Amino acid sequence: MSDFPSSKFDRGKIFAKTGLKVGSNYAKHYLKSLNKKNSSDKSSLHKQTAEQIFGELTKLRGTALKIGQALSIDQGFLPDEFAEVMTQTQYKVPPINRSLVRSIIKQELGKYPELLFKSFESEAIAAASIGQVHRAVLKDGRTVAVKIQYPGVRDTISSDLGLAKTLLRRIVNGKDELDEYFDEIRSTLLLETDYIYEGNTIDRFHERFANEKVTTPQWISEFSTQRVLTMTYLEGDHLSDFLAKNPTQEERNRYGQLLWDFFHDQVDDFDEIHADTHPGNFLLTDEGKLGVIDFGCVKKFPEEFFSDYLRLLPTHLQRDEEAIINLYQKLGVLKDHPNSSKKEMEYYKFCLNYGFTFAMPYEGDSFDFGDPEYKELIRGYTKNAPISNEPRGNKNFIYSTRVHLGLYHFLMKLEAEINTTDSRKIVQNAVESISEDT
Amino acid sequence: MNKKTDKKIRISDAAAVKYLENDRFTIASLADELDMEASEIYDFFPNRRSILQFYYEAAIIKYRRIITQIDDYSSFSMAEKLSTLALTLLDLFQENREFVKRTYPSYVVCKSGSTPFEKSLKQEIASIYKGDQKQSRAASLLNIEPIFELILYHFHGLIRFWLRDHSEGYQKTMELVDKWTAFVQEVNYSSILDRGFELAKFAAYQTPLKNVFSSSHNNTTTNE
Repeated sequence: MSDFPSSKFDRGKIFAKTGLKVGSNYAKHYLKSLNKKNSSDKSSLHKQTAEQIFGELTKLRGTALKIGQALSIDQGFLPDEFAEVMTQTQYKVPPINRSLVRSIIKQELGKYPELLFKSFESEAIAAASIGQVHRAVLKDGRTVAVKIQYPGVRDTISSDLGLAKTLLRRIVNGKDELDEYFDEIRSTLLLETDYIYEGNTIDRFHERFANEKVTTPQWISEFSTQRVLTMTYLEGDHLSDFLAKNPTQEERNRYGQLLWDFFHDQVDDFDEIHADTHPGNFLLTDEGKLGVIDFGCVKKFPEEFFSDYLRLLPTHLQRDEEAIINLYQKLGVLKDHPNSSKKEMEYYKFCLNYGFTFAMPYEGDSFDFGDPEYKELIRGYTKNAPISNEPRGNKNFIYSTRVHLGLYHFLMKLEAEINTTDSRKIVQNAVESISEDT
Repeated sequence: MNKKTDKKIRISDAAAVKYLENDRFTIASLADELDMEASEIYDFFPNRRSILQFYYEAAIIKYRRIITQIDDYSSFSMAEKLSTLALTLLDLFQENREFVKRTYPSYVVCKSGSTPFEKSLKQEIASIYKGDQKQSRAASLLNIEPIFELILYHFHGLIRFWLRDHSEGYQKTMELVDKWTAFVQEVNYSSILDRGFELAKFAAYQTPLKNVFSSSHNNTTTNE
C-alpha cells in the first residue's frame, strides 16, 4: 500500500532516481564486460533494469505509467525481457490505501461503501494509471465495477508533462511540433480524469456495440461522479490469462476476429474510436464475446487526417510512390520531397517499407498474425526506425498508431488468423466516402 | 447507555449548528429547537461550552461505531487504521466545517491539560499501535505516551492543514494523510530499529569492543 507521490518535487525525484538506477546498471554491466571477455548475461541486465523502472513507474502512476503502457505496446523499441516486464504496467500497480478508498467514496457519493452497496470488495481487482477498480454489488443485486481516481492525479498530469517537456526540449528540435504533441497528450489525459465524460462514452459505446459479439458495460450514473465511476461488471479473461489456458487455434482466431472486426466497425461508423488498444482494456468472455471495459481514451479524428491515414493502406499496397510521397507530406512525416535530401530519402524509404508491411494484412482475404516472420518484420522496423531529434508527423498519429499498432500486437500475441475481406471493403469505403464529403 | 449517548450526540450536533447562527445561544433556545425541556439538557451538560466540546468527543464515538461496520477492518495495516481514524474524523468534521474552524483551536487544542477529545483520540492511537502485530520489536518498545502525544500533535497539524485546504474534495489533505500514515507505518514496520538496537546492545556488552574504545582513549591520553 504505497502513498501516491503527487508533488512536482516527489515525482521529479523518482524520475531522476530511475535515470540513475538505469545508468548505474548499465555502467556496472560495462565494467563487468571489461573484465570478462565473454559476453555476460545481458538478458538478466535488461530484466533487472526493466523491473526497477517498472517499480518506480508504478509509484508514480498517472502520466508516467501511461508512458510505461505505451512502451509495452510498442514492444519493438524494447528488448524482449524489457517488454515482458513493462507489460505488467498494463495490469499491476500497487493499490492505494483501503481507508483512502472509503473516504473518496464518502466524499464523492455521500456515504461509505458499506452503507452504499450490498457488498464492496476493499481489495482492488485492478489498479492502473489513473484509478483503481473495485468489485461491488448494488442493493438491487447488480454486480458492478467501481473505478476510483487517485487523489491529486489531475494535478500530476500537468507537472509530469512539464517535466518530460523540459527534458525533451534540450534534445529535440522543432519546439512548436513538440508543444502540439504535448497539448494533444495533455488534453486527452485530462479528459481521461473526467469520469462523467467517460460514463457518457460508455453509454454511447454500449448503444453502438453491445451485440451478440461484443459486450460493453453499462454506466450507472447515480453512483458516479467526476472521480468515481460505476458500471456493470463484465466477467472474462485478460489476454495473458486466456493464453495461459493453452487455447485452441480456433479459439484464438475467434477472439482475434472479434477484436479486428470491432476496430473496423468503428472505422466504418467514422465516429469515436476506442483509442487505448492495450490488452488490459479487453476481456475474452466465456460466452465467446469480446468485452471492452475501459473508455477513458476515445478519439474522434479530424476527417482529413483520418482519410489520409486510411488511404495509406491501399496506396502502399498499390505501390503508387508519388501518391505515397504526397500523403506523407500532407501528414507531416516528410518535410520535403525525398529527392531533396539524404535525410528525407532515409525517412521515405523507411516509411515506404514499414507502411507496406503495416498494410500487408489488407492485401488478401485472410492474414496470419501468428506468422513469426511478420512479427519479426514489424519488430525490426520499429527497432530500426530512423531516430532523429526532430518530431515528425501529424499530432493525431499519436493515437491512431496507438490503436492500430496496439491491435496488431494484440493479434500477434494471440497468434490469430484473421479473415480480412470485410475490413478491406470497410477501409476502401471509408476512404471513398470521406473523400466525397471533403 | 446507547440511548443516553445518542441523545447527547443529538444535542451537541444541534448545538454546533446553532453556534454558527449565534455563538451566544441559550440552552432554552437549543431545547426549543430539539423539542425538549432545558432541564433535560442540563441533565447531561453543565453549560453551553461543555455541549460544544462534546461535539468532538461525539466524533470519536461515531468513529468507533463506523469501524465496527467495516468487514475487514481487523486486517488493515497500521497505515490503513491510522488513515481510517484521521479520514473518518475529517469526514465527520466536514459536515460542520465552519464550526470546527471556529472552535477547534479554542475547544480542543488551546487548553492546559488534555481535553476529553484529546484523551479519547490518544486512546484510539494507542489501541492501533498496541494491537498491531507487524510492528518491529524495537518499535513496539516505543508504544509509550510521548509517542501517542506526538501523533496527536500531528493530528492537530492535519486539522489546521485541512482547514486551509481548498482543493476539490479536500484531495490535498487526503494525500497528506496517505503520506503521513505510510511514513509512520514504515518507521514502525522497518527492522532498522531492531538492527540498531541489537548493534547498540552488542556495543554496550562486548568487552573487546569496549577495549577498542578504552585503549584508543588511553593512547590519546598517553600521546598527550
